[in-house]
Amino acid sequence: MNPTGQDEITAYLEGVREALAGLPEATCQELLEDLPEHLAEVRAEGEGTLIDRLGTPQAYAAELRATAGFVGGFPDPPPDRWAPFHQARTDVLRLLGRADVRIGPVLGYPKASDFLVLLRPAWWLLRGYLAAMAIAYLFDGSGHRGLLPRIGGSDLLALILLAGCVVLSITLGRRSTVRVGWPKLALWSGSAFLVIFAMAGFVYADDSVRDPGYSGVSSYDANPYSNVSDVFVYDSSGKLVVGARLFDQDGNPIQLGSAYCQNPETGETTHSFRMGYPFCLEREPFASPAPSPSSPTPGPSKPAPGPSDPAPGPSDPAPGPSDPAPGPSIPAPSPSVHSGRPSLPSPSGP
Amino acid sequence: MDTTQLLKGVLDLAVLAALRDEDGYGYDILRRLRSAGLEEVGDASVYGTLRRLFNAGFLTTYVVPSDEGPHRKYYGLNAAGRAELQRSGKIWHGFASIMNDLLREREMA
Repeated sequence: MNPTGQDEITAYLEGVREALAGLPEATCQELLEDLPEHLAEVRAEGEGTLIDRLGTPQAYAAELRATAGFVGGFPDPPPDRWAPFHQARTDVLRLLGRADVRIGPVLGYPKASDFLVLLRPAWWLLRGYLAAMAIAYLFDGSGHRGLLPRIGGSDLLALILLAGCVVLSITLGRRSTVRVGWPKLALWSGSAFLVIFAMAGFVYADDSVRDPGYSGVSSYDANPYSNVSDVFVYDSSGKLVVGARLFDQDGNPIQLGSAYCQNPETGETTHSFRMGYPFCLEREPFASPAPSPSSPTPGPSKPAPGPSDPAPGPSDPAPGPSDPAPGPSIPAPSPSVHSGRPSLPSPSGP
Repeated sequence: MDTTQLLKGVLDLAVLAALRDEDGYGYDILRRLRSAGLEEVGDASVYGTLRRLFNAGFLTTYVVPSDEGPHRKYYGLNAAGRAELQRSGKIWHGFASIMNDLLREREMA
């Protein structure tokens, strides 16, 4: 037996093994158990290559499969639990094969897969890069993701890692012998992981490029009125308008603030049942200071009457008989003004 | 109808019959079947059938060293194999005679 004969047998065996992949493992093992010796016998028996005399490995496997499938009077082999999946796989492969032949001429090749085969080295490069990025992603905790596989922010380390992974990937790709068992499974699942990782990374990078300042401006709020919780309307004479309604140019009511009032002393929050603004009279910004003991019932604590109420605004400090000083909260340039509102004339109640 | 389809049903019996008088190795049995007239039978069918018959307990096997080539794995019938050959052979004869009668009636009609 010459060495090329042994190589031929190994290659043929591998082809049969591949083609039998759909069978249950036990049946497959059983069928293949003696095949190397048997093929050696056949080869020694006459002239011509194995393919010449036995047909292609695929045809041989199909015949074996047919023999294994027929069980006349003998115990049935264990049923194939994965039969539907194998069937689906066969269907998908057939569809892909048809698409392969259809799309090929569009690209200028007999088959689309002929073109894809040319792209394999490109995939090896990309795979190396993705593997490096995945490693960097796992081991770099900084959270600052760039386009280089940096670990700890080092450019040099990133380049070394990148080069290592790319060279490894190309080496792996060039050793394109037929793989079986777990190395094949590991390679495929690794590739699938890298593809998913690449998609996630692409989406992330795309988001970052489109909206570069996203994280920086997240606290910025475009609506200047979002902090408004209540509205106080003053008429031209500086008097607080109670029960004011706000409308826009189309007559739609303007909703600002919330109808909840917090009592500054007790911290208690209560719902305001007032119609219109302000919701919470107690919070009037230009009101007089907290009522002094000598003025037992100043305006603010009194519930506001309706807007038609002719009485002075309840928060108006002017009628207060013993109002001693202007409200401290007012930026008062002239404390001598009696009303305590420097920018507004003295109220003149109707 | 072609012989390949028919062969599937009787391949076990054919291989058992080919081993009735003399033990043989895979390619040898294939040659016997072909020279008997079963031209369509393939090597994979014979190999697969031998494996299955062996696993079913109908065959014995032993390896014979060969001077000019690789070792050869010989198969032979054991008691269970001979019993199976007899049982299956009866079924076949019954079936064949039914078919013969059926065809003869048709021809006469």
